[in-house]
Amino acid sequence: MTDSHAPAIEAIGLTKRFGDFTAVESLDLRVQTGTVVSLLGPNGAGKTTMVRMLATLLRPDSGRARVAGHDVVSEPDKVRRVISLTGQFAALDKNLTAAENLRLMARLRGHGRIAARTIAGALMERFDIEAIGDRVVKNLSGGERRRVDLAASLIDMPQLLVLDEPTTGLDPRSRQVVWSTVRDLVAEGVTLLLTTQYLEEADALADRVVLIDHGREIAAGTPAQLKARVGEQRVDTVVTDAAQLERLDQALSASFATSVARDQRTVSVPAPNEAADLTRVAQAIRESGIAVDEVALRRPTLDDAFLALTGRPVNADLDGEADSAHEPITHEVAR
Amino acid sequence: MNATTISPPRAVRNSRAHGARRYVTDTLLLTGRSLRSIPRVPERLLDVTIQPIVFILLFLYVFGSAIHVAGISYKDYLFPGIIGQSLAFGIIGAGVATSSDMTEGVVDRFRSMPISRLSIISGQVMGQFCEALLGIVITVGVGLALGWDPHLTALHAVELVALMVLAIFAFTWTGVLFGMLVRSPDAMQGMGFIIILPLTFMAGTFVPIAGLDAVPRAIADWDPISALVAAVRSLTQGYPSSGSWQLDHPEIAMALWCLLILAIVVPLALRRFNRMLAG
Ligand SMILES: Nc1ncnc2c1ncn2[C@@H]1O[C@H](COP(=O)(O)OP(=O)(O)OP(=O)(O)O)[C@@H](O)[C@H]1O
Ligand SMILES: [Mg+2]
Repeated sequence: MTDSHAPAIEAIGLTKRFGDFTAVESLDLRVQTGTVVSLLGPNGAGKTTMVRMLATLLRPDSGRARVAGHDVVSEPDKVRRVISLTGQFAALDKNLTAAENLRLMARLRGHGRIAARTIAGALMERFDIEAIGDRVVKNLSGGERRRVDLAASLIDMPQLLVLDEPTTGLDPRSRQVVWSTVRDLVAEGVTLLLTTQYLEEADALADRVVLIDHGREIAAGTPAQLKARVGEQRVDTVVTDAAQLERLDQALSASFATSVARDQRTVSVPAPNEAADLTRVAQAIRESGIAVDEVALRRPTLDDAFLALTGRPVNADLDGEADSAHEPITHEVAR
Repeated sequence: MNATTISPPRAVRNSRAHGARRYVTDTLLLTGRSLRSIPRVPERLLDVTIQPIVFILLFLYVFGSAIHVAGISYKDYLFPGIIGQSLAFGIIGAGVATSSDMTEGVVDRFRSMPISRLSIISGQVMGQFCEALLGIVITVGVGLALGWDPHLTALHAVELVALMVLAIFAFTWTGVLFGMLVRSPDAMQGMGFIIILPLTFMAGTFVPIAGLDAVPRAIADWDPISALVAAVRSLTQGYPSSGSWQLDHPEIAMALWCLLILAIVVPLALRRFNRMLAG
């Protein structure tokens, strides 16, 4: 049986090469039972590779990893019994309907025909996919597919759930659905390893964040610790006329610690109180009578984190293709 | 969203019989999965049935008028050839299906679940086998409808069915192996067109081997598909063939070819499959 004292994941020096290219380099990872850990990193950071090694789908070249006390290389069957992986790309049979997929996976997990039907029904209700249950998966939208995929991972409540970029490509509403599902599961006692490109998502869901790039760990800590190093959310004000920048800076510096980005015509102030600070800034601007193009509350992005922690932008050597770049976050972080 | 309890805990899996029984159950479930996709992807079945039908129509009503084979009506000469060709096309069908299936994310899910891994490839082979069998049944049906007249004794009928099943099995495994080796379904399709199509043409399928030029004739004498076609023709029409050892004894040669192919292809396919799984 599973050693209940062992950490959910304990990886030491895990390394994976593809030819000459090292995708994951000597990565350590420890996930305590009952916690949520997020692997955060841009495209190509090695998140999927890491997750696939832990899920016994990829053989590490060196290093060791144990899942619930079982070695991923020498005891893969035991690992597979406690882990459930929702990969980055939907792992469903595209020629079967959503319901058929769920029933098939339930039967492969050893449930009888009737039990499989019941389980599939309950999961479809839970994930709000009853209406699309009889549609063939290849005809579903990306978000619908993701929900079915997630449901398929929860057929037997796993001890360890691994979600590889569960919300990439989802609209804000579907993202909220995934987030609240994840919170429910965690409340039920599931240990979760989650990969994401969004600092905001790691912040919203994880107890601990490991920031990786080029297969190596760059920083790790609680979201609060990382944010303290990265900087809090702030209010950015863009003036219409660059000549007014000085005046706005003076107007705001009365009550805020301002910083000015001249080429972006922007005055930036920290906003630990979010909306309240936004209101105060707006008030100050109105009193000063300065014309502005935009006043916005911004949360630090993966980009900001990289800049703060490594002194260089995301994918500095890869032409900055991370799609999380420069993305003002417009929806609520519920936490 | 409401908080429905998800399912009874994992113990179910552990209480289940392991080993052989688990392998059989998982294989049947995965075979069922493949079979279910037959009506959902009708193109695939059409691939293996339309092609023979086109060849039947082409040779029966277009080229056939210019081809005369001594001692047999062209119709009765042609249909065994078409059946041999369709059996060989099973390689392409299984290969295309496997290469698109094995690169799908769903195989990853199977791999990360506590199921018998061998059942993944077994289910694939079984599913493709059934699909190929269905294709042959349709082709034979079309032949009979168009007036093909096989003369079968009961014994020959049993022998014919057994040989065809063996051939479908061998070609399905071959297709599954190729499907795991090629990069894409298109590559498999291309390979089928360049290698398998010519081999089916040089096998006494449409015209007698005896009349071929030296080079194609040398190939045809030892082309396994020649043995296949000759065996079907010998069993259904009692029409003899000769030229090489395999053409003198087509039924035995066909069985030996199939066994040889299986002996080579099955271990290679399993090895390739394990490699793929190892990542
Ligand atoms: N099978 C493979 N063969 C060769 N290179 C690979 C293979 N799998 C991954 N890589 C490379 O390893 C690196 C890490 O890939 P990985 O998929 O782990 O990144 P990721 O962090 O998941 O990125 P993304 O956010 O885009 O999903 C990439 O540069 C990728 O090109
Ligand atoms: Mg990835």
